[in-house]
Amino acid sequence: MSAVYRNAAPPVIPWFKEGFFDFWSTRVNSLWTLRRPLVRLVDRTSASADAVTLQLQPNRHVGGLLPGQHVNLGVELDGRVTTRSYSPTVLDNGHLAITVKAIPGGKVSQHLARTAAIGDVFSVGPGFGDMTVALSPQRLVLLAGGSGITPMRSLLRQLDKQPLQAPVDLVYWVRRQEELCFVDELQAMAARQPGFKLHTALTRDAATPAPRVDSFDFSGFDQLAGARVLACGPAGFVDAAKARLGAHVASFEGEAFSMPVLPELEQGSVQVELLRSGRSLSIARGTSLLTALEAAGIQPASGCRMGLCNTCVCTKVSGITRHTLTGDHASEPSIPLKLCVNSASTDLTLEL
Amino acid sequence: MSSVHNRVLSPQELQAFGDELDAVRGKHQALLGESDARYIRRIVAAVRWTGVAGRALLFLGAFVHSLLVPAWIAGVLLLGFSKILENMELAHNVIHGQYDWMGDPHLQGKTYEWDIAGTSENWRKTHNFRHHTYTNVRGLDDDIGYGLLRIFPEQRWHPFFLAQPLVAVVFALLFEWGIAIQDLRVGRVLAGKVTLRQLWRQAKPVRRKALQQIGKDYVFFPLLAGPFFLPVLLGNLAANVIRNVWTYVVIFCGHFTADAETFPKDCVRNETRGHWYMRQLRGSSNLTGGKWMDVMTGNLSHQIEHHFYPDIPANRYAAMAVEVKEICRRYGQHYNTGSMPRQFGQVMWRILRHAFPSRPAPQRPLVSELAAEVQ
Repeated sequence: MSAVYRNAAPPVIPWFKEGFFDFWSTRVNSLWTLRRPLVRLVDRTSASADAVTLQLQPNRHVGGLLPGQHVNLGVELDGRVTTRSYSPTVLDNGHLAITVKAIPGGKVSQHLARTAAIGDVFSVGPGFGDMTVALSPQRLVLLAGGSGITPMRSLLRQLDKQPLQAPVDLVYWVRRQEELCFVDELQAMAARQPGFKLHTALTRDAATPAPRVDSFDFSGFDQLAGARVLACGPAGFVDAAKARLGAHVASFEGEAFSMPVLPELEQGSVQVELLRSGRSLSIARGTSLLTALEAAGIQPASGCRMGLCNTCVCTKVSGITRHTLTGDHASEPSIPLKLCVNSASTDLTLEL
Repeated sequence: MSSVHNRVLSPQELQAFGDELDAVRGKHQALLGESDARYIRRIVAAVRWTGVAGRALLFLGAFVHSLLVPAWIAGVLLLGFSKILENMELAHNVIHGQYDWMGDPHLQGKTYEWDIAGTSENWRKTHNFRHHTYTNVRGLDDDIGYGLLRIFPEQRWHPFFLAQPLVAVVFALLFEWGIAIQDLRVGRVLAGKVTLRQLWRQAKPVRRKALQQIGKDYVFFPLLAGPFFLPVLLGNLAANVIRNVWTYVVIFCGHFTADAETFPKDCVRNETRGHWYMRQLRGSSNLTGGKWMDVMTGNLSHQIEHHFYPDIPANRYAAMAVEVKEICRRYGQHYNTGSMPRQFGQVMWRILRHAFPSRPAPQRPLVSELAAEVQ
């Protein structure tokens, strides 16, 4: 399947102010913008005991999105756009469905699951991720840990459009029965498609707790050696799955979601990836990013070198930084970063 | 000249002074949130609505002839108000990156383009970087007289400056154009450093922006009015001039009052944070006048706070000023503030006085001497 939506962004007209246009157009319809991709919350339903499924109406600028891919959703909380990745399913009416697990203490997930109002508008980025499937016959084993079910659901809905030409197994781990999402839908597909087998594994089931991925019994799976394995879930889950199956299957691809962890010491060096220039380099932790990048032969735009003039600001896509004057850490993804008064605490990805 | 006496601080006191001012920054930065976002969005809405209403009123006379004069006057005032609000409270603050933290693509300092003849790109360089980092440092801060006026006795006198009372008036009327060409440094042509052709080529982005602004206010909207071309054109011109004069007055009050100081180049060498704060304080002056004055000046009525914290949302300055003032009092530092007539009166006196030869007052204890002690 190719891009679901056409990207209808008009060419840039220098004298035509986008902010001016968007101000008036969004007063008529909150999704009408000149270029910005936006989605509007139109429905919220419970998906399991602690997860909800949101139905989002996209505007015409929401770009191509393949089943199994993720998008960055920008939600404004306390005046600040806060970004999280979700794996949407494209519904038959063109809307996007995302399933959000309300994580205790999670700012964005709690907001989306409980307080976001119908009609709220969020920004949305282009689809990313390589966990997509072609329509050619392919022996697939899908492994989902908790919320890792969402991209698998999109892939299965895509595969379900015609009779399966090769067997597909889905193993879906959650702790308890009530945490399972999309059970009816998946069971219905299993009944419809003889080639599809659904295995649910409840690791904290009171009666018969199921084994985790590292001790799961895959011996009953046909043609395991020729299978393409896709795994999605927390980092620990994906790592364990790879250790368990990586050497025994045709190919293994994993996608993990986890927050970067703050190091105990602000020493040593980290990897910094610069997206615009396509470079990746190793820099020291303790020094300001501007100084460190200059030492590595890169000349970012800069000015006052004391955090005032905003010349060196760029977008930090991911990773944790530390303010050199206050010592505060910043871990939110996709926020502006002043290179001259911040140092790297973990590996970083920058729009530079 | 000034009768101000600032207590000379020891290096330790200067350090503590800077730390206390940094703490004010940290405290208010941590408070940023919903209310700041709501504030700047209300300003955006006010700019848009008054802009449209002002232009509509300028057109009204074409349809209802009896209302021509009152509608034209009201239209000019509203459009002027909209432009002032856009330039000062919205654009100037947004371009500083004050609202970057919101993540709103239309309020990003690096990309915002303002409704004025000059490009935001030039402004980011001459103002955000040079003026704010090297405030009132002679030879580094172009804003000292904008290369056109002699405001301080430390600037070398030249017979040309005898005309500056007149030059200053013309400069006020055309202020946006002065800002637009500031970074082209036209003086280089007279000095023979660049040819006119080179300058023309370098000016391409400036020319493009200027054409856009001229096209909008003096061609597009007047043409839209058809036979009513002239009143609309004159209305737009009047609104732009009102904005120019107002911004000129506000900006000149910020650094050119009687007690404002300038500094030699060597004072920024190995400058500490406390020292930098001290220089900002001595080079800046505030305006009293309350809420409306704050909004209409883009909070440059809190010039001192703006120079301490140029990247903190300006709607916070009034609250920060209470703490800043108290810190300055404890450290025996003069906090330069006064009404607009008083402050601008001092500016006008400087423009008149220094049109004629004048000699710098004996050197007062400057921060540069403190810096030497810190080393």
